Amino acid sequence: MALKLTRSLLGALAMSTALIAASPSFAAGKLTVSLSQDPGSWDPVDTFLVAWATVATNIFDGLTYRGPDLKLVPGLAESWQVSDDGKKITFKLRQNVKFHDGEPFNADAVKFTFDRLLGDEGSKGPQKSNYAAIEKVEVVDPSTVDFILKSPDPVLLTKLAGYGAMIVPPNYIKEKGEDYFNTHPVGTGAFKFISYEPKIGVKLEANPDYWGGAPKISELDYKFITEPATAVAELQAGRVDIVVPPIIPISMVPTIKGDSRLELMSVPGPTVDALRFNTRDGITADVRVRKAIIMAVDRKTIVDAILAGQASEIVSFQSSLSLGYDPDLKGLPFDPEGAKKLLAEAGVKPGAPLQIDIRGNDATMNEVAQAVSSYLQAVGLTPTIKPYELNVLLNDIIPQGKTGALFQQKWGGWTFDYDNTAYSMYHSGEKWNPYEKDAELDKLLESQRPMTDAAQREKVLRQIAAYVNDKALELPLYNSNAIYGVNKRVKNFTPAPDNRIKLNEVTVD
Amino acid sequence: MIGFLTKRILQAIFTVLVVTLVVAFAIRLTGDPALISAQGGGTVTEADLQRIRVALGVDRPFYVQYLGFLKGLLTLDFGRSFVGGTPVSQLIGTALPATLTLAFASLFVSIVLSIPLGVKAATTRGKWPDQAIRIFSLIGLSFPNFWLATMLVLLFAIALQWLPPSGYDGFSSYIMPAVTMGLILTATNVRLVRTTMLDTLRSQYVMVARAKGLSETKVLYKHALRNCAIVLLTFLGVQFGGLLGGIVVVERVFNWPGMGTLAFDAVAARDYPVLQSVITVLSALIIGVNLLIDLAYGLIDPRIRTQ
Repeated sequence: MALKLTRSLLGALAMSTALIAASPSFAAGKLTVSLSQDPGSWDPVDTFLVAWATVATNIFDGLTYRGPDLKLVPGLAESWQVSDDGKKITFKLRQNVKFHDGEPFNADAVKFTFDRLLGDEGSKGPQKSNYAAIEKVEVVDPSTVDFILKSPDPVLLTKLAGYGAMIVPPNYIKEKGEDYFNTHPVGTGAFKFISYEPKIGVKLEANPDYWGGAPKISELDYKFITEPATAVAELQAGRVDIVVPPIIPISMVPTIKGDSRLELMSVPGPTVDALRFNTRDGITADVRVRKAIIMAVDRKTIVDAILAGQASEIVSFQSSLSLGYDPDLKGLPFDPEGAKKLLAEAGVKPGAPLQIDIRGNDATMNEVAQAVSSYLQAVGLTPTIKPYELNVLLNDIIPQGKTGALFQQKWGGWTFDYDNTAYSMYHSGEKWNPYEKDAELDKLLESQRPMTDAAQREKVLRQIAAYVNDKALELPLYNSNAIYGVNKRVKNFTPAPDNRIKLNEVTVD
Repeated sequence: MIGFLTKRILQAIFTVLVVTLVVAFAIRLTGDPALISAQGGGTVTEADLQRIRVALGVDRPFYVQYLGFLKGLLTLDFGRSFVGGTPVSQLIGTALPATLTLAFASLFVSIVLSIPLGVKAATTRGKWPDQAIRIFSLIGLSFPNFWLATMLVLLFAIALQWLPPSGYDGFSSYIMPAVTMGLILTATNVRLVRTTMLDTLRSQYVMVARAKGLSETKVLYKHALRNCAIVLLTFLGVQFGGLLGGIVVVERVFNWPGMGTLAFDAVAARDYPVLQSVITVLSALIIGVNLLIDLAYGLIDPRIRTQ
């Protein structure tokens, strides 16, 4: 009896071992990525957080795709045709693509996605307004859709690559409901969702049927780590493989560079910082004073010394990767003597007070503001730095026009298009522009919006940058790099300037 | 006894209600939560903001929102977070156990350290062990908790790689956070134990116990310590309250998903449901714990029972 039992147990053991040995070998390895925030919902229409996009690029796809090289290529749409008046775009959709729940990707799914974004569900969130140019989406046949636009939007094709425009599964949402979809997302992307623990992390697994090529890793884990020192500690301990920006502060760059197991990858990002002027009150209402202030500050030295090469100098309020960037635009030179002359000319008394408003939680800007302050003291001004809590500054002080003479503006558009920045900063009536009402500038800004010819638009955008530079509306400071900390066991990883890293090509040792 | 209990419970409920009203009012003074969503870098019009306000429910008058919150409390429905709509009960369901684990572990570490050390200091008064313990206590009181936390991480997680640097998964991740908070609490508690022990050791009944021939250990731990216990218990109750609120900085260093971090993030995001619910739960807990401690006095000190 015992012998029979033992035999059958041994037999079972042998069989199961054989089965395990014979099972197909999947892509191997687990990658762990650290994120700085928990977006709370994985629904594309609900959020504006960059951290959402870092994960969502792997779960969802858009009709177009924009990778780390910032070139727009086909995504779920194989090709597209823009009509002459720019008000209709016809997309030819990719065939034989399935969502993670098995339902097919087709024109109905696209129409459902945009009806939802522009309808009631999207109304509850911040994404809808980015796609306001779309009037409706029409199904032509199962693999063709027409986008009918209210007015031409030259940035729309880029915006279709991410965030609110990522394609969602109609049947799954109708069956499971909106709430379930928020915490159990399903898309067409390279990785499938497994689980989400609020405030702790989210786990994904490889989608072997991915149309863009099956992932080479089997598991993808994201952890939410808000504290920079902790994220770097986890990286050093080998428990996290990639730390995405903007968490790594410049002061920790040497720590990562000095660790032989880690690699620092730093690429120009979209985020720019400037000290904008209050052009309505006080001495900065005079353009000569503003120019003097710009000339008094040695911006190059600040970037080299405080930012240690992890940022670049800017002349206009945009990154060097942005459309509208003019490499030939010259800013005012560092000239303290010239500054003093201008100040005297404008009748500014020596020792005139000046308030600089900054974000209290921005460690880098705190240091930069002190440097700026000492440069301004050297030309005879008396600056004071006033740190504000982030939301108070952004929602109260700036929009209500209660700032000091200078105030920090940090801006970063993932679309890398100067239009989005310039319109929000300089057009009269915009939330971020409490002081300026310049009809000529308004006209310039409005004129380029409907242009579908990229070269033409770029010319106008450069004109705008030059105009702003002449009128000295801001003291442009720096364009921060997107700094990634990566464990050397991660191979084939390309850092993306906009945090949207698709990880299907990456392997781990 | 029943009358006393009923009275205390009613007082407790009333206090919690006042707290909820004050908090609900105060956070609404800090700004518009809809504007928080509008920071994505795109253009957001006033119409968009109004839509978001309606979706979040903040366009309704204050009393409607407040009464809605109270009604929800009765059914333990804490509403949904403004950030992504996660049910608040789910968030608290993870954060509260995390905070309670850390709180109890820290208190445990603190008791295990401060009682023997306090007794040792009291019994060797004036000699070098006492001096050493008092210096240690002074150091513990002076160091900021986040500094201690970071130093422990540098040593045990990065240099020696014995423990994980952060996180809330598994026993090994509890050690450093509990030791950090435990050491800091010990700094206060060890002095407390020492002082009360010194007082107690001078009293008559201790002399009698010694005269009866009881071993020193029995004298100290079975008899003298009981008197200490009341004072220590009061302090632990207060400290527990503080730990519940979460030592936000230590939570951040260790990426501990506790109530403190939840509240802190909610303030930054003007997340009314989360903030109101977290503070309600915490104040209910703290008031409840203090009530229990008051009742526990009766158990430890027979003299209080007869009052």
